[in-house]
Amino acid sequence: MSAKVYVALRVRASRERAFAAFVGEIGSWWQPNALFQTTPRAPGRLAFEPGEGGRLTETLPNGKIFEIGRILTWSPPEALVFSWRQANFPPDLVTEVEVRFETVGSETRVSIEHRGFDRVPADSVARHGFPDQLLGLRLAEWWRELLIRLKDNAR
Amino acid sequence: MAVHLRSALFYRDPKAALAWLEAAFGFELVLLLEDAEGNLVHSQMSFGDGLVMIGHQWSDLHQSPLSVDGRNTQTVHIEIDTDLDTHCERARAVGAEIIEDPATQFYGDRTYRCRDPEGHIWTVAQSVQKVSREEAEAATGLKITGWL
Repeated sequence: MSAKVYVALRVRASRERAFAAFVGEIGSWWQPNALFQTTPRAPGRLAFEPGEGGRLTETLPNGKIFEIGRILTWSPPEALVFSWRQANFPPDLVTEVEVRFETVGSETRVSIEHRGFDRVPADSVARHGFPDQLLGLRLAEWWRELLIRLKDNAR
Repeated sequence: MAVHLRSALFYRDPKAALAWLEAAFGFELVLLLEDAEGNLVHSQMSFGDGLVMIGHQWSDLHQSPLSVDGRNTQTVHIEIDTDLDTHCERARAVGAEIIEDPATQFYGDRTYRCRDPEGHIWTVAQSVQKVSREEAEAATGLKITGWL
């Protein structure tokens, strides 16, 4: 088992629309975070290749493409699971993000569960010297900001 | 950064509390941190524009009522805008101990009070009629300042 960070909020849109916005418009709602840099270079634009096995890529300003992860579960419009790794992670470390879309009345509850960040080694630059709890809280806050941007994007 | 008041509640079994508070009151889990053993580290549940933090007994001074003979030193109030009696039945159905049945108070709110499985007391209120300050003073014999 690995530690997990969970955040959720409601989006004023159908599940189908919320799922489509999450996957198809990640280039617009995604915002980089200095604590969780995907690469040491200037941040780029994210995109999913829809479907199981599809890549989550970041196209950097210099044109290079960094693969952040792959889609592990593709179940529109209920769920999406993808792997997520930063360039500064140890080579064997992969974390996992599970996104769920649940209808609540006329809205959709979008939840994110990010698992495995506690496996970032204590001396890794990806940890910034933070203990698990603080790193987890910062990760949760970042996902919450991202979900708020998704919410604004999805309506 | 906006300015708020928030309350934190302590439970022996905070993960069970998350499930119970959702079932009983319709609170929604908005943030949860768990360690590698699955223990709750921190959590937040929202209700309307309010938020409570649900945690474990993280020090001798932060205890569940279950650990201190059922004593409460503060209570959290839930304000709703419809169907108070239905709200009460929903809470009762999942094991809330109703310690005061729904009743309309002199100040115009219909309220009920209950205890959750670890003994936290919750008050639930719905405004059902407009009561003027003069009416409230007449009903109670008190001098009232700051009546909204």
